[in-house]
Amino acid sequence: MSEKTEYVLERTFDAPREMVWRAWTDPELLSRWYGPGIETIIHDFDLQPGGAWLNEMRWGENADFSKMVFQEVIQPEKLVWHHSSTDADWNIISSPMMADWPRVLLTTVTFEDLGDKTNVRLSQIPMDASDAEIACFAAMMDGMSKGWGGGYKIIDEILKELQ
Amino acid sequence: MEHLSYTNSQAKLDAIFSALADPTRRAILSRLIDGQASVNEIAAPFEMSQPAVSRHLKVLERAGLIERDIDQQRRPARLHAQNMASAVDWLNDFRAFWGTSFDQLDNVLFNMKQDKTKE
Repeated sequence: MSEKTEYVLERTFDAPREMVWRAWTDPELLSRWYGPGIETIIHDFDLQPGGAWLNEMRWGENADFSKMVFQEVIQPEKLVWHHSSTDADWNIISSPMMADWPRVLLTTVTFEDLGDKTNVRLSQIPMDASDAEIACFAAMMDGMSKGWGGGYKIIDEILKELQ
Repeated sequence: MEHLSYTNSQAKLDAIFSALADPTRRAILSRLIDGQASVNEIAAPFEMSQPAVSRHLKVLERAGLIERDIDQQRRPARLHAQNMASAVDWLNDFRAFWGTSFDQLDNVLFNMKQDKTKE
């Protein structure tokens, strides 16, 4: 189960580690890239263990709020935070998108120095999750990394059918 | 996460993902790609009792992933594809979140390097 319930994304960036670290930890720079093609507003960013990053994303009439509470800050190697959906007052809530989505994701980002380049590894694992939440997350991870055990075949067929 | 807003699609997605979380139910869906099938026909390859298969079919039906004929005695099940598509959209959105963000980070780093060169 444990391998299925971890979401991992790794990418090598064409910039030295100090610069990549700055892009992750300077809120002005972070808000430029965090969130897929939508407006990101960082309301607070207190980069120390116990400190919070309060994040709002806006698209159209919608807003999505999340709170990241830093656990470890090891410049320029590692960031660990607890990642949660919140309401507009920054109270942790179930995901407005999916009720069974885990409420807290332990998020670990490591920055590996490759000279002119930097390898970034992002990992997200559900914390204190119910069975339903773990099942929901596992179904998603399974779908993303292993294709639902042949499930991509289903999806391909279905998408063909829909066209 | 653009095309799903705060709507009633949430309950639907939950039902779809819990239905998909079970390997037997995914196998049943795979079987139904080849066409509609009765409970007997579905049960055959699984070494599973008919009531057990019926329970799985009920979960899939509630999630809107299959439809069953009411009129016929055999009550054959068949795939109902549209709802699966909304789950696929959500998956793609989640995958896109960090993936697209990382693409944007590439651009931010490129600009930072340009600025540094100018200094």
